[in-house]
Amino acid sequence: MTIKRMTFLQELLTFMGLEERLHLSWISSAEAQRYVQVVTEFTEKIRALGPNPLSTYTGSIKAARLEFPSGFGKDQVLQQQKAAGTIPGDR
Amino acid sequence: MNDRVKRWLKDGTIDIFLGYKMVEGHPLPHCFTPKRLEEVDDLIVGQARYSLEKMATHISVEKPGIKIGMLARDCNQRALNVLYIWNQLEPENIRTININCCPSNLKEHGDCSYLEPETSGQYKKQVGLDNTADTKTLESMDSKERLARWMYEFQKCIKCYGCRNICPVCFCKECSLEHEELIGTGVLPPEVPIFHLVRAVHMAGRCIDCGLCEDACPADIPLRLLYQKVNEIVVDVFGYETGTNTGQAPFSILGDKVTLEPKPLSAG
Repeated sequence: MTIKRMTFLQELLTFMGLEERLHLSWISSAEAQRYVQVVTEFTEKIRALGPNPLSTYTGSIKAARLEFPSGFGKDQVLQQQKAAGTIPGDR
Repeated sequence: MNDRVKRWLKDGTIDIFLGYKMVEGHPLPHCFTPKRLEEVDDLIVGQARYSLEKMATHISVEKPGIKIGMLARDCNQRALNVLYIWNQLEPENIRTININCCPSNLKEHGDCSYLEPETSGQYKKQVGLDNTADTKTLESMDSKERLARWMYEFQKCIKCYGCRNICPVCFCKECSLEHEELIGTGVLPPEVPIFHLVRAVHMAGRCIDCGLCEDACPADIPLRLLYQKVNEIVVDVFGYETGTNTGQAPFSILGDKVTLEPKPLSAG
């Protein structure tokens, strides 16, 4: 089941344009050498692929993000009502 | 149809009926009750679509065991099937009246707000994604181009949660998209593509391809296209047809059994 779920995720990421950056291997806790081998191989693969292409996008998103004063958007009345359980189901 | 609803309400087959009523020129979802039978004359069928089954889910949370009747298109039926599978509604508590839906070989005429999707403009086609495109067109593109186009679309997101709120099969009490550690609330713009990918993953085995999310999206993100791909993968990998399959969805972890056998500690 895990391998199917991972395949699902790999295919979804491929559809997004982020392929080959997710890897799944079964390694027992007794197989230290195999663990090293798999991690090294995957590291080399990622290095060859280059830096995460998402980073070019997320930079501009962080820049666009407004700095809110602490507590902004967390309306205190709302918080109190939530704590007191007086808000009926919000959805 | 209206007579049947009246009869059902009178003889107690159902306690309430969910349908549409014209209010000041707008077809709005309305709950018809036996107390106000005369209202049933105003029950209409048109292109308007709301997730009536979602309302049914909410109502049955408040009043367990209530018998609900509702109008159902094919997409509503599929959503109901999914909600039965996920134990959100009891099939014996729901009565449906089937109404006209998307056109097919069997039904040439259809009524649905999705039949004429908004056309995408030149710029959107150039740098983003045409909402009417199919998954094949996208797969024929270079992966860099695909990523760029998806990111263009996702970056428009204003995190209104409209896609989740309209979604007939979104019923979780605690939503990952509002989880403080996972996505967080109150911060704009949302973290992309995580926000949309989390939702896409959660649509696996649930999305019934009704297109309401895309209808609702104020930023015109081609969500239906994304979830169509999700459904394709679910069919390929798990052999699970969401909405028509009656088995437990592959992404439900309830009832998962441990397959590894415990081994004795002492070396034999």
